[in-house]
Amino acid sequence: MRLRITSVLGTTVAVVTLFVALLVPLKLMGGIASAFAHAGFRIDPVYSGGNVLRTFHGTGYTVTVYEAVFPHWLQRGKPFQQVVFAPATALPAHVDQTIDMDGDGKPDLRLVFDLPSDPNAPLHGSVEALNAKYRSVANLGNNSFTELLVRADSRILLRVPLAGKK
Amino acid sequence: MASSTMTTNQLVTRGVGRSILLTLPMVLWTLLMFTPGLRQPGAEKHAAAAVTGVFMVGLFYCMMRTGQTYRWRRIFFVALGFLFPVGFIAALVAVRGSMSIPIEHMVSGDTPFCYMVIPMLIVPAALTQTLVFPGSILPTPSNPHSIAAMIGLWLAMTLVLGKGWCAYGCFFGGIEEGFAAIPKRARLRKLNDRYRLIPWAVLLTIVLLSAAIFEPVYCMWLCPFKAVTEFPAVRDVETAIQFGVFVLLFTGLVVVLPFLTKKRTQCGFFCPFGAFQSIFNKINIFDIRFDREKCTDCRVCVVNCPTMAINAEAVGKGEARMSCMKCGACVDGCRKGAAVWHIKGTAVGANPERARLLFLYGAWAMATMFGGSVIAHGISTILHFVLKG
Repeated sequence: MRLRITSVLGTTVAVVTLFVALLVPLKLMGGIASAFAHAGFRIDPVYSGGNVLRTFHGTGYTVTVYEAVFPHWLQRGKPFQQVVFAPATALPAHVDQTIDMDGDGKPDLRLVFDLPSDPNAPLHGSVEALNAKYRSVANLGNNSFTELLVRADSRILLRVPLAGKK
Repeated sequence: MASSTMTTNQLVTRGVGRSILLTLPMVLWTLLMFTPGLRQPGAEKHAAAAVTGVFMVGLFYCMMRTGQTYRWRRIFFVALGFLFPVGFIAALVAVRGSMSIPIEHMVSGDTPFCYMVIPMLIVPAALTQTLVFPGSILPTPSNPHSIAAMIGLWLAMTLVLGKGWCAYGCFFGGIEEGFAAIPKRARLRKLNDRYRLIPWAVLLTIVLLSAAIFEPVYCMWLCPFKAVTEFPAVRDVETAIQFGVFVLLFTGLVVVLPFLTKKRTQCGFFCPFGAFQSIFNKINIFDIRFDREKCTDCRVCVVNCPTMAINAEAVGKGEARMSCMKCGACVDGCRKGAAVWHIKGTAVGANPERARLLFLYGAWAMATMFGGSVIAHGISTILHFVLKG
């Protein structure tokens, strides 16, 4: 008797599974994806750069300053803050600019770099800390998530290391 | 079943008419899946969609006609394994000019998401709501392979397939299955049964390490398939070592060892996602059982199993291990009909063909939907190169 009940139940679930298969491309896949997308997750700030802190405008371009990012306890890398210049085409061939990161009216960083006309050429530049919160870097690289000067699509992306911890 | 007969292997074979009748639902499904491809501009896309549709339907027909599963599924799976890198690499080169992904693309969220990452996301996501992957949650013009889309696809397919994902869904497993199919006999036969525990150890290690250092550790350091998909751009010693590890693991686990052992060694002895997927076999209604009354302990099923999911102990218990991916190799090879498809809760051997059909319709529908689109993309890429250069 027990085998008969489990047998009917098992076969029913098998048939339901088949209907679930039919629903996968029609409803289920998109439904799960949508639920996941709205579940409140975010990309780790070490990769994404974190949340936007403030935006201001230069001559024909926009500068977006992000909030400081502090890696987790055992996460590799050091604290940093991201700055994005867009569009890159509006920037001069030689950039020498001070940036007010926190909007207090005083410059916090001086960024110097050359912008080659070849969009695939690596960028070479330096950042000088004018505020003790930041750390000066003579040669900004293109291989560390926390110390970076790269061209990303039509943007110039800068990551400046912070001097201290949270 | 008037026109059904049993072969010496106890497999149910059918006449042409009955096989066509059983294939008809799959014809309709395939039309549903590939009609959008036929609407896209480009003769090569139309040709690829048509060829893939005929290919998938043809293989299903062969399954119905011969009663064999593994042989025909393997043709699909190897095609999937070898055509995925073709389409994927071509797309990467077209968008990025290279197979390597530079850091500027990672910080822009342009890394295509792969299901292998999923186990490593769970703990950091549960603790901090952050996803430790340099991709994007929603699709973007520069990255259509978003995290949400892949999670949706994987979870939906897993509900249907359980560990069957590794035999009908995974676009990596086909590569080693292809290399394992080349030799007639295994040259390396003595494999320690404990090797099957390594994927669990790798899974535990990468889940804990990823949670500790907030990095997808397996993708950054251990994934053999990075060698044929994409890898971090080599810009320093660390990324050079990573690339070296990918190539070594791919050569060893995906090419050489499958050739020597006729097993899927990366899947059976290393893949943490396979171990993770095994957990879902517990909630899947289909499994493989052994009828102890028919079994003669010939061990053909043990030899045939590509991932060491069957050993003498499992046969003795009458049930394949939870790492069984339902590829059908044991059932097809069993001369006594002791290895059978089974629906949990039913009597073993009561109606194995019904269990096989119910599983196969769902599994092949998933294979056509996901794997079929990947195969079509690969064929379309090849046609594009051949016709347009």
